[in-house]
Amino acid sequence: MFRFLLSIFLTVAATIGIGASAIATDLRIGFTVDALTLDPGNHRNRDNETLLRNMYDGLLTYDSNMRLVPELASSIERVDPLTYRLTLRHGVRFHDGSLMMADDVVFTFRRILERGAIDGLSSPRRDLLGPLEEVVAQDDHIVLFKLREPWPILPAMLPFQEIVSRSFIDRVGNRGIATQANGTGPFRLRHWRRGDALVLERFDGYYGGATDVPPVGPACVDRVIFRIIPESASRVAALLGGSVDIINELPPFAMRRVAEHPRTRVMKVNSTNTLYVALDNSVPPFSDVRVRRAANHALNKPLIIDRVLLGAAEPLNGVLTPAAFSFASDLPEYAFDPAASARLLAQAGYPNGVDVTLDTDGASKEMAEIVATMLTAAGIRTHLSVGEGSTLRSNWAPGGTPTGQMYLSSWGNATLDPSDIMFPTLHAKGRGNRARYRNAEVDALLETASVESDRARRAALYRKAQHLIHADAPWIFLWVPQDIYGVANHVTGFKPSPDSRIHLHDVCISDVVSRE
Amino acid sequence: MRPAIVLTRLAQLVPVLLGVSLIVFLIMALTPGDPVEIMLADQPASVEQAAALRADLGLDRPLAERFVLFLSNAVQGDFGVSFFHRRPVAEVLLERLPATIELTLAALLLALVVAIPLGAIAALRPNRLFDRLVTAGSLVGVSLPGFWLGILLLLLFSVHLQILPVAGRSTFACEVPAITSLLTIDSLLQGRLDCFGDAVAHLALPAITLALPVAAVLTRVMRASMLEVLCSDYIAFAEAKGISRGRVIWRHALKNALLPAVTVTALETGSLLGGNMVVETVFGWPGLGRLVVESIFVRNYPLIQAAVLLYALIYVLLNFVADLVYAWLNPRVRL
Repeated sequence: MFRFLLSIFLTVAATIGIGASAIATDLRIGFTVDALTLDPGNHRNRDNETLLRNMYDGLLTYDSNMRLVPELASSIERVDPLTYRLTLRHGVRFHDGSLMMADDVVFTFRRILERGAIDGLSSPRRDLLGPLEEVVAQDDHIVLFKLREPWPILPAMLPFQEIVSRSFIDRVGNRGIATQANGTGPFRLRHWRRGDALVLERFDGYYGGATDVPPVGPACVDRVIFRIIPESASRVAALLGGSVDIINELPPFAMRRVAEHPRTRVMKVNSTNTLYVALDNSVPPFSDVRVRRAANHALNKPLIIDRVLLGAAEPLNGVLTPAAFSFASDLPEYAFDPAASARLLAQAGYPNGVDVTLDTDGASKEMAEIVATMLTAAGIRTHLSVGEGSTLRSNWAPGGTPTGQMYLSSWGNATLDPSDIMFPTLHAKGRGNRARYRNAEVDALLETASVESDRARRAALYRKAQHLIHADAPWIFLWVPQDIYGVANHVTGFKPSPDSRIHLHDVCISDVVSRE
Repeated sequence: MRPAIVLTRLAQLVPVLLGVSLIVFLIMALTPGDPVEIMLADQPASVEQAAALRADLGLDRPLAERFVLFLSNAVQGDFGVSFFHRRPVAEVLLERLPATIELTLAALLLALVVAIPLGAIAALRPNRLFDRLVTAGSLVGVSLPGFWLGILLLLLFSVHLQILPVAGRSTFACEVPAITSLLTIDSLLQGRLDCFGDAVAHLALPAITLALPVAAVLTRVMRASMLEVLCSDYIAFAEAKGISRGRVIWRHALKNALLPAVTVTALETGSLLGGNMVVETVFGWPGLGRLVVESIFVRNYPLIQAAVLLYALIYVLLNFVADLVYAWLNPRVRL
């Protein structure tokens, strides 16, 4: 029996050895989740978009510095506050060889805007288009975007919509495009093994991509293989074992191991997420601004970032991250000052401290424990309540009934536009106003800014709002975490992007390495 | 077995599945958490737009209406559209089912191949060194948590020795057209021995991790059962008649000792399906277990309901098959 088992094992090992000699310029990504669907117009998931964005291009895109640049469009101009004109590039082909025309753009956006347009289902991406009313073709290469009301962030939102082929969907149907792909991107779909891997191959007919993001031309590698590995330890093992070339969501505790490994390195970039502790402004003790400020002074953020996050974060004094439009760099710091916390608590009527509960989900438990310990040391005696993420999110949504008075939370701002984070989280009617924050002046500023077309005036409005919010301290302002990637040394041209998208057009393999 | 009995047993499935669907539906409905909030997360959408999306998904309807609608569609084979995949639930489930079946069968085969001989041999020489080793080993096997063992195996075989892959079902040199959708079988059917080896290599670590606790339980059951049978009068009688020891063990003892193992195997197969959830996550195995776990976290109600119904159906059918095997092994058992 033993010999039999041994012979099977050796056969298996030999088979893998044979596989190891295969030569290919394959780029293998260890990715956390699989695509839900391949239909760019029928999902609402960032990771899904990361996967699709290598097969589908948009009218505009962001470069790795989050600069908005034309992609399938050659130019964009604002005709009036309610109309934008986009001119399309000539000669762009879909993977099936057909030319991309204005009709495809109109079809793409109609499919998202019209209720029930996807076999009776409405696109969950509708909200990403704000007050966009319709898209019409002026000729084969010019399209007009018409708005119901001024919406200055339309260009910033266009990179999140990928252009599909009308004739292709007419042929395969909405069911077909959920599992097949026909984009204009640098890679075309070769095979989708559900839950296992997404295999793409270079599209040699690629028009080259955004001219503002060199190099322009076909992709560098022959194939891209997104291998789905949800477990972090397994993903790290895959990178160190040479099974993949890039992994996303490298946990901070594994950074040193990856950095010290002779074949791998760590790459980081500030994300677009703001991490904060929402303080329930509607109930005591956080209905008193002095207690909220005391909480902000209680945390030693530099120490946490240095020792716990191993430097993979940048402290924040307000809502916006430094890369965001209109970021107010002159906001004063809520410095770590336990004496100031004690003084503010005493002024608020809590000379002996106060008892509160911090809600957190399981994934953030360790960080919440650190925050709770520091708050407790400053007199805000914090009890930790660990719940399930979905339940907490629901409890802390407007109209929900949270059990605690604080919630360790985060909000993304993929466009880096303030309207994407300040309105939902800090306007009285915001869907994500977990702090139940109410300030009529801030509401008015946010409303005015959201329709203001002049960039300078808009920036000034948002800066003023940031100062008011900073003074009101509805949150404990924490930090912007970094996206961390583990990357094999033979990978070149990879630039982590703040919006967590993985652009692979320019990524190359510097030597022939592949086990696939 | 009489056909009427089979039909009765199959008819019993109906109330079981109805009960399971009601319980799952109620549990999911009473569990806090809003799939729309999860889907929209921190992306732009107003409260009104979120409400519209909720209505699109039918979540604004009364609970009873949703349940009746689910049942009436389910009996026609329509389990609705997955909130997040935006495709029919049945399609999403069927995509993942073969991977889970392949892993479960491999783990089961491995567990049986290891446990039955070990348990039987240990019982032949009780309290000797081999028996003690087997007993201690099975205790260790039962005690090791699957996720921990899985990661240890990964570190040893994939990172340090680099002889087995970390994740997935196969490499991409092996694109074998699906016949059964079980990669090992399909590659053999098409004469692709390289792909068979590749599929086995990918299967090895998750199957071992999944098989170990099952093998440990089965070994103990088999040992106990064999010991009991060996002390029976009919075994002593057979030996007194001068039948060789080997023949007594092989023809008379082993077959009867297998009876409890059959029951345990059926039950453990159910737990293998459940255990898949952890192992599939650790090894990135693209099966049903991982899909269900992900769906629970995001409150993908239609998919969870259909998946639990499927699990229940498989579980009931497995027990039914165990009864059939029972009758085959022991003709005194009448169904």
